[in-house]
Amino acid sequence: MGRVDRSMQWREALFGIETAGRGTDAGRWIYNPYLLLVFRLVLAAVFIYAAFLKIGKPVSFAEEIKMYGILDAGPTLYIVAIVLPWIELLCGLSFISGFFMRGAALIFIVLNAVFLVFVSIRTGYIMNGEGIAFLEVYFDCGCGFGSTYAWKKILEDFLFLLFSGILFAAPVYRFVLVPARAGR
Amino acid sequence: MRTSIIQAFAVALLGCVIAFTHNAVSVNGINPFRRIGDVPVLGVEEWGTEDGLHFLTLEEVRSSLASGAMLIDSRTEDEYAEGHIPDAINLDYFEMGKYLDRVLPAISSDRGIIIYCTGLDCDDSEMLARELYLLGFRNLFCFRGGLEEWENSGLPVETGSESAGYGESG
Repeated sequence: MGRVDRSMQWREALFGIETAGRGTDAGRWIYNPYLLLVFRLVLAAVFIYAAFLKIGKPVSFAEEIKMYGILDAGPTLYIVAIVLPWIELLCGLSFISGFFMRGAALIFIVLNAVFLVFVSIRTGYIMNGEGIAFLEVYFDCGCGFGSTYAWKKILEDFLFLLFSGILFAAPVYRFVLVPARAGR
Repeated sequence: MRTSIIQAFAVALLGCVIAFTHNAVSVNGINPFRRIGDVPVLGVEEWGTEDGLHFLTLEEVRSSLASGAMLIDSRTEDEYAEGHIPDAINLDYFEMGKYLDRVLPAISSDRGIIIYCTGLDCDDSEMLARELYLLGFRNLFCFRGGLEEWENSGLPVETGSESAGYGESG
C-alpha cells in the first residue's frame, strides 16, 4: 500500500473525509460545504452550551431525566447524568474540528432520536394527565434551556436530527482541521 | 459505516473516561451506585420503631420545631434568599457538595432533621433526606407541603441568604 493510500485511509478514519465511493452524491445541494458548515456550527453551539450547563451537576440533571418517568433513581440514571453531558461536549468539539465527525454525527442521530421519543412520550403523558391540547403542553425538557412549549422542542429536535443525518450522509467534509501529515 | 461506528464508540468511550474522572474530583461528584432507592420510607405506625424517612404534616412540623427539631431548606440559594421558613439552614440538593463541609457539622440527628422544598410538586426534600440517610444521619423527616403550605397557612417567612439559626447551630 502506497503512502498516498495510507494517508487517505488515515484521513478517512480521523475526519470521515471520503474521496471515493460516494462521489455520485457530491453534487446534491444539501451537501453544499457551506451549508454543512452551518449545520455543524449550529449543532456544536447548541450542544456545547447545553453540555456546560449540565457538566458537574449530575444530581440536577438526573432529576430532570427522572421527570420523563423512564428511569428511576439508580445507577443507570446517575451514569447517564454523569456521562451524557461530556459526550455532548465531545461531539460538539468534533463538529468544530472535524475529528471523528462522522462518528459524532452517528451519536447525535441516536441521541436526538431517543430524545425525540422521550419528549413525545412525556408530551403524551402531560396531554392525557392534564387534559390539554398538544400546542399548550409546556414543560422543562431537562436540556438545560429552561421551560418551553413541547411542539417547539419536538420541532427543534427534529431539525437537529435532520442536520445530524445530513452530516452523517455527506460524502465529503470541508473546513476541517487537517494536520500537515494528512495533506501530504 | 464500520468506520463511523468505531468513531462513535471511540467518542463515547473517551466521554465516559473524562466524565468519570471529572465526577471523581468534582465537588458535586456522586457515587452512581449508591442505593438511594433502598432507603426505607416509613408509615405512621412504624414511626419511632424503624429506621427510615417519615413524612410530616404541617402540624407535626410545628410541634417538632417546638421540641427542638432543626429545619433544612433543600432548594437553591436564590430561592432560599427570596424566602424560607425561619431558622432553616440552606442545603441545595442539586449542589450538595458545595454545602456539605459548611452544613454537615451543623446537622445533628439528635434534634430531628426536617427537610422541605417548594411544595407537593417537588421531591427534592425527599431525595436530600435519602442522601443524608446514606451519609449516616437518622431521625430524618420530610415536610411535603413545603414552603407553599407554610406560607398559605399564614406562617412567617424569613428572607436573606443566611438564617439566624445558622449561626446558632454552626
